[in-house]
Amino acid sequence: MASYIIKRIGWIIFNLLILSLITFILIKNVPGSFLELQILIGQAGTTATGLTIAEAEKVKGVETEMMKRWGETVPLWKQYLTFIKGLVTLDMGPSFRWPTQTIEEIIAKTFPVSFTIAILAVTIAVFIGIPLGVLAALKQNSWIDYLVSALVMIVSAIPNYVMAVFVIFLFSFWIPILPTYGWGQPKNYILPVLAMSFGPIGSIAGYMRTSLLDTLKQDYIRTAWAKGGTERHVIFGHAMKNSLIPLVTILGPMISQLILGTVFVESMFGVPGMGQYFSQAAGSRDYPLMMAQTVIFGLILMIMNLIVDIIYFFLDPRIRLSGKES
Amino acid sequence: MKNKNRVGRSYWSNIWRKFKRNKLAILGLIFVFVLVFLGIFAPWLAPYPYDEVHYEAVWTPPCKEFLAGTDQLGRAIFSRLLYSLRNAIIVGFGAQAFIVFIGLAVGLIAGFYGGRTDNILMRIVDIVYSFPSYLLNIILVLVLGRGYFSIFVAIAATGWAGMARLVRGQTLSVKSREFVEAARASGASNGRIMFRYILPNTIGPIIYAIFSGIPGVMLVESGLSLIGLGVRPPMPSWGLMISEGTGQFLYNPYMLLAPAGMLVLTILSFNFVAFGLRDAISARE
Repeated sequence: MASYIIKRIGWIIFNLLILSLITFILIKNVPGSFLELQILIGQAGTTATGLTIAEAEKVKGVETEMMKRWGETVPLWKQYLTFIKGLVTLDMGPSFRWPTQTIEEIIAKTFPVSFTIAILAVTIAVFIGIPLGVLAALKQNSWIDYLVSALVMIVSAIPNYVMAVFVIFLFSFWIPILPTYGWGQPKNYILPVLAMSFGPIGSIAGYMRTSLLDTLKQDYIRTAWAKGGTERHVIFGHAMKNSLIPLVTILGPMISQLILGTVFVESMFGVPGMGQYFSQAAGSRDYPLMMAQTVIFGLILMIMNLIVDIIYFFLDPRIRLSGKES
Repeated sequence: MKNKNRVGRSYWSNIWRKFKRNKLAILGLIFVFVLVFLGIFAPWLAPYPYDEVHYEAVWTPPCKEFLAGTDQLGRAIFSRLLYSLRNAIIVGFGAQAFIVFIGLAVGLIAGFYGGRTDNILMRIVDIVYSFPSYLLNIILVLVLGRGYFSIFVAIAATGWAGMARLVRGQTLSVKSREFVEAARASGASNGRIMFRYILPNTIGPIIYAIFSGIPGVMLVESGLSLIGLGVRPPMPSWGLMISEGTGQFLYNPYMLLAPAGMLVLTILSFNFVAFGLRDAISARE
């Protein structure tokens, strides 16, 4: 087990190196630069960096810091090494778009927000999705089953940014009890979490239904019935436990997808999370922040996958982990 | 006598027979045909050009003249819906074609040759699979610009890994069957074995994967255009229309409901067909 984990961590580092290299090469080839944008904005009448004078005082050293790292005279390989070194030593320098903040500060600030929302959404989805799926599987081909299956299909076809609008309409205008905007209070979490949990509810219910139906057809379940097991004993003692295993595999990717795949929901509700910062960074050509976020998100994704595989190992003793993935 | 019935029941007619029994799948298939038809002939079917502004009729609710109303510039939403559908279909099929092409090539070669080739190719697949695809899509569109081709490439660059894994698995399961051995014994070349013997026998799950992938690609495109990185305006896209309609939801709800409804309807139709295919293919034995 330990050697397996070490091997996997080795591969994660290797994959991250490749990801960082690809990201670096791609981003260095994006047309347009932050400086050009600032000049355009400057012509439109604001200060060149878009800061107030007090802020500009505070970040006097920032410009030289940026030039030292990403200036045009610095050779590309050196920029790449700076980037990698920054990632490893957690010293990634100032962001272009938010020069008063360093990149590691931005990530340290946004990641917990996105992570909390993702975890909450998945938790809700698990608590609603699993019972729905179980109900549908136990009453296969009844109206409950059809209702759940229809729900699964419809929900999986509605993107979360459309769901967000309906949730806002429902709980902020029709029944005005929740705020649509603002951040800091627990109640600000409710709407975004709700909007993001519908999709996962659908997929978890769908997976649970298929998985439980599969398990119920197994020989050992028939044996358990034949031995006179009660419904509670057979279904919850034998079938449920085994049909939950495939579900674990989709939870990891689901959480990591929710952490960043929610760019629009975050900007709709004004959530200061990773997704919103990424889309704004992309819009203002804030390359250092984009590169750092891509690699760090890659890291989150790979760690999630590793955790899933380890949990899988403990849940299903039939699985033998070799040093290789898949 | 019994066998007589089975004559002429090929692989495809078997799948089609199972597929036909699924009413939802048939309904989905009809919708897909209608939607593809509407998308292809959008330029002829649209009552107004998608970028024609009617200043005298800004924010008109749905009426006889404008079937789905007009937007903030007085453009006919119905026409824009048709063109968005066209875009979604072009991107859905186009990007999926790229994905299938790369996935088939890598998966077949890795599965067929095995050994070191397999190890290296699958290592690449694992790496691509572990990438944050949505972020790379955004960066790739920034690099390549906002045309159809660059959106195809951006989506396919991260999307092919899953397809390659599937094809490899299928190839492995077919490779050791007798008819492949027979083909080899009769002197068929590697290329011939791959394309004439292995590929046709792995096609079922691949067709399902192709169909179930299309709605995902459409959602990615809509998500990209939502943050301003889809096809170039004034060419409409569902994502763009949804983002325009979001701000107007309280005053002109049709501006959101029309594109969102069309998007959901399209995704659902493709999903129904995909589910039907899955059941028909997996239940064929």
